[in-house]
Order: sequence, then C-alpha cells, then structure tokens
Amino acid sequence: MGRISRRQFLVLAGAATGSVLLAACGGEPAATPTPTAQPTPTPQPSGQSTAPSQAQASTPTTTEAVDIDLSRWSPDYVREIAGTIGETDTRAFVSSVVPLETTGNLSYWYIGPAETDPQISKDFDKQFWDAWESTYPGISTDVQRLTYADMLDKIRTAATGNAAPMVATMPILWGVEFAAKGQLAEISPEEFGFKESDFWPGALKSCRWQGKLYGLPTNNESMALIWNKQLFREAGLDPDQPPATWEDLVIYSKQIKDATGKYGYGLVARQNHGNTPFRFMPIVWAYGGGAFDEAEESPTYQSTLINNEGSIAALEIYYNLFVRDQSVPASALTNTNAENTDLFFAGQLGMYIGHPSEFAVMVDRANKATGADKERALQLLDNIGYALLPEGPVRRAVVLGGSNIHIFNERFVRGGKVDRTAARAFIAFRCSPEWSIKAVWASSNPGTLQAFGTSWMQQRLEQVRFLEVTTAMLKYGVPFPVVPESTQIMNIIIPDMIHNALTGKMTVKEAANDAAEKIRALMKQRPS
Amino acid sequence: MDHAGRGPAVRALPGRRGATKERSRASEVAADYAYILPALAVLVFVVGYPIVYTLVLSFYETPPSLPGRFWTGLGNYRTILTSAEFFDVTLNTVYWALPSTILAFALGIPAALALNQGLPGQGLLRGLLLIPWVISTVTAAYVWRWLYHADFGLVNGFLMQLGLISRPILFLDSPTLVIPALIVVNVWKTFPFVMVMTLAGLQTVPRELLEAAAIDGATAVRRFWHVTVPYLRNVLFVTFILLLISNLEHFTIPWLMTGGGPARASQIWSIDIYTIAFRSLQFGLASAYSTIVFAIVLVFAYLYVRALTKEDAVR
Repeated sequence: MGRISRRQFLVLAGAATGSVLLAACGGEPAATPTPTAQPTPTPQPSGQSTAPSQAQASTPTTTEAVDIDLSRWSPDYVREIAGTIGETDTRAFVSSVVPLETTGNLSYWYIGPAETDPQISKDFDKQFWDAWESTYPGISTDVQRLTYADMLDKIRTAATGNAAPMVATMPILWGVEFAAKGQLAEISPEEFGFKESDFWPGALKSCRWQGKLYGLPTNNESMALIWNKQLFREAGLDPDQPPATWEDLVIYSKQIKDATGKYGYGLVARQNHGNTPFRFMPIVWAYGGGAFDEAEESPTYQSTLINNEGSIAALEIYYNLFVRDQSVPASALTNTNAENTDLFFAGQLGMYIGHPSEFAVMVDRANKATGADKERALQLLDNIGYALLPEGPVRRAVVLGGSNIHIFNERFVRGGKVDRTAARAFIAFRCSPEWSIKAVWASSNPGTLQAFGTSWMQQRLEQVRFLEVTTAMLKYGVPFPVVPESTQIMNIIIPDMIHNALTGKMTVKEAANDAAEKIRALMKQRPS
Repeated sequence: MDHAGRGPAVRALPGRRGATKERSRASEVAADYAYILPALAVLVFVVGYPIVYTLVLSFYETPPSLPGRFWTGLGNYRTILTSAEFFDVTLNTVYWALPSTILAFALGIPAALALNQGLPGQGLLRGLLLIPWVISTVTAAYVWRWLYHADFGLVNGFLMQLGLISRPILFLDSPTLVIPALIVVNVWKTFPFVMVMTLAGLQTVPRELLEAAAIDGATAVRRFWHVTVPYLRNVLFVTFILLLISNLEHFTIPWLMTGGGPARASQIWSIDIYTIAFRSLQFGLASAYSTIVFAIVLVFAYLYVRALTKEDAVR
C-alpha cells in the first residue's frame, strides 16, 4: 500500500492548499490597490511647528476667513477658491475652543487607513496622531482603529453593552440609528468653535434626528461618471461629450454595446451591498422619486415615494439597460463596483460611476503592468474622462457620502463617564480645516467648508486628477433618509426591488409597489 | 450510565461495610461531577446563556428607532410564520441543504470505497481528495465566485472557447441556476467529510465476513449491500444528520457568492436571520426566527443523539 507518513501528508496538503490559496489571491481583483499617482511631498502639520502664543497672535481663531458661495459651486469654482486663504493655524483655532494645557482622558474609535490604502493616507494618519499628542499633551487618548467591515457591528455591540467609546467617527448613514436609541449626546457646532454654515447643509442634515444635532461632518464625498473616450470613438460617439441625461446614458450604452460588443454602462445591483443604492438612488432622485422625500429641501420622511412616477421611471432605466438592451455586464446582479473597475481597466466597459481615487488606482495598475498590457493601460489612462452624473427631468443628484463625528451619551460609555472637555478639544482638532482635509487627502473631501479655500486643497487638486469634478458633485449631494430604518431600506428593500424587476419576477411597476408596501410596513413597526 | 448500573449492587451490600462502600461510591460520583463542572460551567455560559437570551429576546420587539425593547409575546413568531417570505426562504433552504447532503454522499461513498481497496498511491490520493475540505470556506467561495463569474469566469471562458456556448451562462445571476451552482460548490467542499467518515466505518467491517461471503459466492454488490452496509448504517446515518444540520445552518458560501440574490433566490435561513438582525436591526424578530430554526434543527440533532446512544448501547 502506497502509504505516506503524517508529516508527508501535511507537507503535500500544505503545498496543495498553498497553491490553491495563491490562485485564489491572484484571481481576485485588488480591492484598493495603492495609488502611486500622487507625488508625495507630505505637508507637515502646522500644529507641530508653531508655538501656541505665536499662532494666536498671527492668525484668526475662527473659521470665518473664507466666504464660500455654494450657489456657484462647480469644478471651476472649486479651483478658483482653492488656496485663497493659504494655511490655517490649527493650534490657534483649537486653543480658542479648549486651552492647550487641558488634561483629561478620551476614548476614540474610527475607520483608519487599511493596509491597501495609499501610503499618503497612512502618513497623514500618523501625522494626525503626532500632532494631536503635541497639541494636547495632557489628554490621554485611547484609540481604536477599525475597518469599515468591522466597525458597525462592534460599535453597536459596545453601545448595547455600555462600553462605547466617548467619541467616534462613523459613516454618514450610521449615526441616526444610535441617535434614535438615545446613545448619542446632543451637541452644537459652537461648542467646537464652528457655526452651522461652516458645513454642507446636506451633511448637517445627516447629523440630525428629531430636530436635534448629534454630530459634525468630518468629511463629505460624492461620485462622478467615468468614461472611456476610446470606446466612445469606436462606437461613433463624441469622445468629449459624456451623456448629459440618464436617457442619453441608456442610448450611449446601447450604442457602445452594438458597435463594439463591449459593455456600455457598469450597472451594479448586488443584493445586501452598499454599492447598489449608492448608484441607483441618484437616478431615482433625478426623476423626482425617492425612498421618501429625502431629496427635498426640508424632508419629512412621512410617506414613501418609491412607487411614484419618478422612481418607476428610474427603475425602467435599469430595466432598459439590463433586460431590453443587455448593454450592461451580464454579471450585474452579483457585481459590486470592484468588478466594474476591472472591466473598465480591461477596456471592456464604456462608463461607470466612481470616486476620484479610482483614477489613482488605475494609474497604479498601469505602473505595475508590463509589455503590451502596460501600453494598453497607458493608452486607457489617456482616454479617461470624468463628468458630472447625468441629469434627470427633475434634478441632478448624487448620494452625499462621508462621515460624521459623534459623542456618545455617558450612560453607554465604558465607565459611565464622558470627558466632555477632552471630547470638545478632539472634535475641534479633527474638524479643523487642516485636519478635515489632510485626514481624507486621497479619499474624500473635507467636512469643513473653509478647508476648500486652503492651499492644501490646491495641492490636492494638483495631485488627484479629476478631483474638481467629484468635488463639484457635492452641490448635488442628497443624504440617504435620516431615519433609523434607512439601512434596511437601502441595503435590502431597494436591491430587492431592482432584482424583482430585472429578473422578471415582477414587472417594474409591481416591483416598485412591492417595495413601497415593504417600506410602509417597516415604518408602521415604529412604535408611537 | 455506569454509575446507575453500579448503584443497586452497592445498595445490596449489608451492614456497615456496605454503607462505607456506598459512601465511597457517592464521593466518587461527586468527584466525577466536580471534574466536569468547569467544562459544564463554560458550556452553560457560552452556549446556554445565548440560547436563553435569544429565547427571551424573541418575545420582544426591538425597533431600530427606539432604545430598549417592548413585550410582544408571540408577535414575532406570528410575523414570521405568517409571512410568505419565510416559506420561500424555507423552500430555498431545503432545496440547498438536502441535495447538497445527498450529493456529498453520492461522491463521498464511492471515493471511500475506492480508497479502501488499497490502490497504489492511495495515501497521496486521500490527501488530494481532502484538499477541498481543508481549504477555508471563505477562500473556496471567492475562488468559485470567480470561476462562475459571467464576465471573467474561467468556466464560461472555457465553454465559449470550446464553442459550446455563444453567451455566458449566468450561473450566479439567474434565479433558476443560482442554487444548483452553489450546491456544486458545497458538494465539492463537503464530500471529503463523507469520504473520511465512511472510510473510518469501512475499516471496522470484519475482513473475515467479507471473505466468507465471497467464498459463499456473493457478488461484490451483494457483499456491499449485505455485509458492508449493515456495518456502515450507523456511521452513514450519523454523518448524514451531521452534514444536513451543517447545511441547514450554512451561511458562508451563499453569503459570499451571491449575498442571497438574485431576487432572493439564494436567500436561506441563516442569511435571512443575519439580514433581519444586522441589516434591519430587528433583533427580536431575528431571535424568534433563530428559535424556530433551532427547533427544526433540534429534531435532527435529537435523531443524531439517538443514533449515537443506540450505537453505544449496541457496543
């Protein structure tokens, strides 16, 4: 009998498993490869070099230095205001909120840079903590850096078990759940040295629950339409004219598919995945629909609009792309945006919705490619365009993403006590123009409007290509409904509706009515 | 069981000597319990407490919009048992779990029989066949997701290159194909478990019986049915129940490969409970759902325990 020893078996099994694992790792798309596009002259935090007394004497201590006209917000305006106020002095600003000699304790959780993030993000993260320690050496800080995938479950569990941190920065959609449960402390911008007008109105909306403010925006982001000019040329389309409306997008997508055999538009509809509502809701809002009336100036969230004419028209856009024209990836129902990036980079996709960082990711990939692949990749980079998302008959819209910073209620915090002074110092420091921009250098936009006028913003615009386009989309940003049921509506009910319509399980109208019924039933469960 | 058996014999002993011996036995029994007490305490804490807490929570409504919980009695159970979606998901679960288990047996038993024949290089073969089982389920799910992918997938690419298909097959994007596609992955992942268990059972079949049957002129098939299978019956039953329970509670493969889609076609119990709890934040409802599933699985667990104790009794 050809027996092998246990040791031999382990060696063989290990080798075989290793090869399969390697294959698995190689087969997956890199989720967020490190962009190398940015030159990295990492600016030093001003807090480290300026003595507090000098700073206070030489710089303003409020954030009123720049007057930003949101009505003029456009890619050109973003470039125009960048650099108009130079650099701000963080020490001077925060010392006017909480004296620098303050002593205390703070516990803080946030989503920190992951291993795959660009080096510049890691560098700035380190600089942030060095600067914080040198600015407030008397405040002892217990920091937990978490991943996006881990944080929500962990912080929910912690809050339920009265072990939450004193302060946490969380993605924009999460806060309302904690606020509704009474787990967050009410705040006012003034206690951190700000005014409401220092932030995007839409972003502040996401910090409110039942009229009270429970957080401040640390960063805001929006997406844009990315297109491949070469595929446009091959399809007989003007390479410099991206679709102006969603209906144009459907026509362009079909034309690309018919003329080149490649996919026109990167539809994403994976169930239970955040990418799905982030790419579908802008169309719904553009046509005058919504989960509720969240796209309106003063939403009430009283009744659902998911089966109104606008929402049905938006769902028809998806139906036409996927079922009628078949001009989107066949795998759209299980795809996330990562697959779109791969298809686009392979020259197999004409258009998709993405972040500014996606260009940097593609530059990085092109740098790593060799031979003919490199040539093709470089050619693609020369042919990429970024545009505002298409308009609908009612408006142009995009999901306002980003994060907010919150203070937890003492009752839910480990030890039952919040050092409010330390928390105020930290939030003022984190939301200061300097750190609201540096902390999200490669990935997002500052939450504080004044930061757009700094020279740091000017540097970013030079380093991050197409940043002005995605930044300009902030004007059209609509936050998801600020109700605790939002996660269920956006992650389950909306993707279910899309799947019901696109798989033929229901007609478009039936799918919309079914979703409306589910939203109504969900809201009815809310005890009065 | 042993102690119960010893009990009457001790009581039958007359006089002081008997009483002393009985006391000594009692202290022995007490010592036995003391030995298992730490393990029991850990078990009660990490298994018992969550079960009881889940049961208690299942009688409460936990709306995401309010702190605390509100008594709803059997309301959550009523909501689940009267919802059409629960029955759709139950059908999906049965459709996923039963064929997965049966097909794992259909592959695992022949593999075990082949490995029991003493083929040359059988150790290596056994090692190779065990690979799917030892690979992490997460890794396997991602590898298969890419193999099946409609746009990048190796399977579609290969079939198209051979000219067998002109358009990609939507393995994971079609409501009708998704569960069969997931079953293939699950069977690939779990058949080595059946193989190992069956192989262990096969090695307990007395060789003399098989030889005697062969001398009596029994064919290989008859020897298998009339000698081997009776010896394997308990092993196969226990393995079947274990695998079925594991498949009924399975989460990783469907969640990572499809997220329950498309159109909830691969939404099975565990995914439904997870989404109700952690996506909808209705922990009370999810607890009631878990309790219902727990009760169903408990039936199979009872059969499993009964089979095990029967086996002990036979020994």
